[in-house]
Order: sequence, then structure tokens, then C-alpha cells
Amino acid sequence: MSTLLTHIAVSDGKIKRSSLEVLSRMTQLAESNGHSSEAVIIDTNASNYVDEVQKYGASKVYTISDPIFENHQNTPLLKALSKVMDEANPFVFGFGSTEGTKDILGALAANTDAAVLSDVSEFELIDGGIKATRPVMAAKILSDNEAHGDNILVSVRSGSYDLNESPTEAEVVDIDFSFDEGDLKATLREIIGASGDKIDLSEAETIVAAGRGAKDDEGQELVEELASVLNAALGASRALTEAGVMDPSLQIGQTGKVVSPQLYIAVGISGAIQHVAGMANSKVIVAINKDPDAPIFDIADYGIVGDLYKVLPPFIEELKKIKE
Amino acid sequence: MKFYVCIKQVPDVDAPIQIKDGNLIQDTDRMVLNAYDASAVEEALVLTEEHGGEVEVVLVGPEKAKETIRKALAMGADKATHITTEDEVDYDSAVYANVLATFFEDKEYDIISCGKQSQDTDAGLAGSMLAQHLNLSYATNAVGLSIEDENLVVKRQGDSGQEIIALPAPCLVTCSNDMNEPRIPSLKGIMQSKRKPMETIALSDMNVDESVLSAKTQVTGYKEKPAREPGQKFEGEPDELAEKVAKLLDEEENVI
Ligand SMILES: Cc1cc2nc3c(=O)[nH]c(=O)nc-3n(C[C@H](O)[C@H](O)[C@H](O)COP(=O)(O)OP(=O)(O)OC[C@H]3O[C@@H](n4cnc5c(N)ncnc54)[C@H](O)[C@@H]3O)c2cc1C
Repeated sequence: MSTLLTHIAVSDGKIKRSSLEVLSRMTQLAESNGHSSEAVIIDTNASNYVDEVQKYGASKVYTISDPIFENHQNTPLLKALSKVMDEANPFVFGFGSTEGTKDILGALAANTDAAVLSDVSEFELIDGGIKATRPVMAAKILSDNEAHGDNILVSVRSGSYDLNESPTEAEVVDIDFSFDEGDLKATLREIIGASGDKIDLSEAETIVAAGRGAKDDEGQELVEELASVLNAALGASRALTEAGVMDPSLQIGQTGKVVSPQLYIAVGISGAIQHVAGMANSKVIVAINKDPDAPIFDIADYGIVGDLYKVLPPFIEELKKIKE
Repeated sequence: MKFYVCIKQVPDVDAPIQIKDGNLIQDTDRMVLNAYDASAVEEALVLTEEHGGEVEVVLVGPEKAKETIRKALAMGADKATHITTEDEVDYDSAVYANVLATFFEDKEYDIISCGKQSQDTDAGLAGSMLAQHLNLSYATNAVGLSIEDENLVVKRQGDSGQEIIALPAPCLVTCSNDMNEPRIPSLKGIMQSKRKPMETIALSDMNVDESVLSAKTQVTGYKEKPAREPGQKFEGEPDELAEKVAKLLDEEENVI
């Protein structure tokens, strides 16, 4: 029996949904292959999250708690992850592909001599390793990959697997951890735009994204109103983040965030391949664009050909009516 | 400030791609400097123009990749090292990181930078692997860089906002392409690049441990992405369109 371990990422006091998606998948793989599904939570107070993690089938939960984990910092996180690998000796160690994961995955692999596949959209177990699918070449095509070894790290794109509850009574193992702040060579000075009440894009159920077509104040107000009616997160194409109209953290695409909401509404976005790379996994895509030949219509489930300034006001009214 | 920028030659992702029997058929005449590396080169040039110093690029790749080194030199890098490999190798990020780690063992530098990922594989692993091997403090996914006193100040995109991190030299940073528009080499730059020093080292002459040259991960094939089918497209009066689509989202899709 081998261990399939999942890292549970916590950000702003909440477990990242993508971690639970990975845990759901790991539990399913563990059940069908006779392995054990385990999880690790690293946070200022990791035990807060054990109950929720148990719901997704982890039979053992490692907790590492220390004030140093208040904010993401790669040095202490690496140390904690390396320690839990020593302790749990996972055959596969899974991560949601968050920005925090991207920051440490390579370093962790180098530190523990593990094989690693990043940003996969599917994975399964094979003899002595895993097999995984990764979108490559700006997500234009898929590559099949294999990784072999005793310890394999894998990070999984959000939205790749559904949440699947299978409650267990987990054994909780608190791992002793201490970190001397003096060992931190890097200094985290500040976090700008920490999302307090903002909805996190990579976790959002509904996203309203604005493109160059909505770049003036009136367009922005309409897009914001639409988002607020739907209780949606705001996103943007690179055209708007580069122009400084929208915050860079809201960019969706190859160089921005990869999102997988239930509903994605693209307003005044042409559908350039680099943008599509970040949102093609959305369940339902609605596009509003005045150009009937805009490439975004090739992937939209519902296309509205029209001027957003004329379409959005009645659209917002209709949605308000439905919401009431 | 001594900057080393690790660069890579990659296929142009905008060139037509075909898959035949699971293999990737690509126009190999369209190889380019990885876009993220180009941003790392640009940023190193800007910082050394401001604070003084030197920019050296280093590339691990086949003979053909010399074109890409020339491009970086034409942009303004001062010198280059080319670690030459066979034409066809199936190295993964870990192998590149190990080769580069061996290269840097006896080098002096303030800052090593590279792209945050390679635009063909989008793996995003080599940078932090290299930092780990060299025991350097590092930051990934930089969207802004500046130098203050002896620190490299990195603005990086994190999960809950932009993190401002000060790294004392020597350190490593990986760059997003959101922070600049890499310069296009001038004719003068292109002429000068031919006279700039380029050292060539055969990988086989380097003291790289044989065991790290065999990759732990392999690409076993390529396949088409299942296409998203275009759905329904509506044209007409805005009021009617709005009502129709809102209803569909509510009643058919259940997503409102
Ligand atoms: C290496 C690289 C990485 C990149 N990464 C990203 C990325 O991560 N994310 C990203 O988004 N882009 C990325 N890009 C940029 C991308 O190629 C496009 O330039 C960008 O997505 C275009 O944004 P847009 O659709 O908002 O603007 P445009 O392409 O200018 O499209 C605007 C659209 O709005 C429509 N429109 C205009 N007015 C109206 C109106 N009144 N009503 C309705 N419709 C209207 C137009 O018909 C048009 O289709 C990247 C590019 C490169 C080279």
C-alpha cells in the first residue's frame, strides 16, 4: 500500500477549492488501487481545517502550524513540505496548481529528488509512476506524459476534477515544526491588493470578464454592475490590464490566471488564443461582441452579437428579475 | 551588478502545429527566443543601464540555438555562453536545471534570472529548481523588478495579491512577460552582436553527473484537444437578445 498525499492550500482563511478537487481525485485513486489517501495542511493554525478535509476522504491528516505561514513565503513552506515528505513518504504528492504551488514545486522536487509534472489536466496511476495529460503550446494541444520514481509531485489545474465527498474519520498527526525568522533571507515587505472581500478568480463559480471593447468608464461600470448582479468575480483580458484599466491580478489567460467557473461571460473580448488558454475550461461561456466574426464565438455556448453598451443594460435588468 | 539570464530556444507557438501519429510536426524554421526569457533579458538590460553592470546570457541547446543567443546579444546583452547539446534530446526541466547548476558552480554573479516558464511546455519548474540547487533565495513570477541598495526588489503575482519581496544578492528571479515589452534589436545591435564574445562549451565536456541527464519524466505523445463546439449565436434587437440569453442561462443551464 502506498500513500497518495494531497497538499491543502489555505489562503485568506479558506481552503482553496482546487486542493479539495485534487484530494477528491486522490481519494478515488486510493480506493480503486488499494492505497491510502492522506492530506497535509500547513497554516498558522492548521487544525482549523481538519474537519473540512476529512469530508473528502483523507484517512490521515498531517498538520503543521506556525505563525510564519501567515503569508506565502517560499523558504518556510519548502522546509515544511520537505519535512512532511520525509514523514509520509508519499508515492504521489498532489497539489492544486495555485500561484503558491508554482512558486515552490520545482524547488521541492529538486530538494527531495522527486519527479515532477506541473499543471496537468488529468492524471492516473501506472506501474511505478503516473501518467498525465498536460495542455502545452499555449494550451493549443495536449501532451501525454509519464513520471517514474518513488516520490512523484503533480500539480493539477483547477477545475480538472469535481469535488466528491466521502467522509472519513481521519487520524490527525501534528508535525513538530519550527522556523527561525533569521533564516529568511528574503523579506516579504508588503502584499498589495490582498483580496479581503474580493472573490478569488481561480476559485470563482461565475466570472464576468472585460476586454478592450469595454475599456472606458461607462463600459467598466456596466461590467461591474453585471458582476455584482451575478455575485461574480471580475476578470480581464490582457488588453485591459496592460492599459492599466484593470488590476494585473485580474488577467485571465496564458500569462494570467487559469479559471474554470460554471459561467464565464466575456464582454468585448476578441478571444485571442492566449486569453482562451485561461478560460476554455469554463462550463458555460457567454460572449458579447459586436464583431460577428470574433474568434470568441467559436468557443462560446451562447454568443450575443451586439454593442455591449446597448446589450448590457437590458441583460442586467433581465438577470435582476431572475435573481429576485 | 552581474546578471546572468538563462534563455531557451523554443518553437513559435503561433506557427501552425500538426500532430501525426502522436508526434508533433512543427515548422522548425520558426524557432524563437522564449517570450518569458525575452522579458527577463529586457529587464536585466534596463536594470544594468540604470545601475551599471553586465548582462551575460546562457543557453543549453543544440547548435541551431545560436540564432537565439544572437538575438539576445543583439538586444544588448554583453556576452553569452552556449552549452551545446545533441540536436534531439528529451530533457525535462530537472535536467536543464542540473546542467545550469553545474555551470554556475564556479561563477560569480549577483542575479540569475530566467523566464517564469517555457512557452512550449509551460512547465514553470526550472527556475526554482536551479535556485534550490544553488541554495539561492528566489522569487518566481515577477511582474516588476527594481534594485534598492544591495537588494533586488521583486513584485510578484501571488494568490492573494502582489507580493513585494526584497532579495539580497546573490539571488534568482523568474520573470513574467507582463512587466515590459522586450526591445526589438536595432540594425546596429544586430551588427554588434556578431562581435560580442560567445563561449561554447560542449555539455559532454562539462562535469555533469551522468545520472542527472536521464529525465525522470517523459513526453510519450501529443494529441489534439477536444474542440469546444461553437454554440448558438444570436443577432437582433438588444432587448430581445438579452431576454433570450438570460432565460437560457437560467432555465437550460442552471447557472444563474
Ligand atoms: C506571450 C503572450 C501572452 C499573452 N497572454 C495573455 C493573457 O494571459 N491573457 C490575455 O487576455 N491576453 C494575453 N495576450 C494578449 C492577447 O494576444 C490579446 O492581445 C488580448 O487577449 C486581446 O484582448 P481583448 O480581447 O480585450 O482585445 P481585442 O483583441 O482588441 O478585442 C476587443 C474586442 O472587443 C470588441 N468590441 C469593441 N467594441 C465593442 C462594443 N462596443 N461592444 C461589443 N464588443 C466590442 C471587438 O469586436 C473585439 O473583438 C498574450 C499575448 C502574448 C504575445
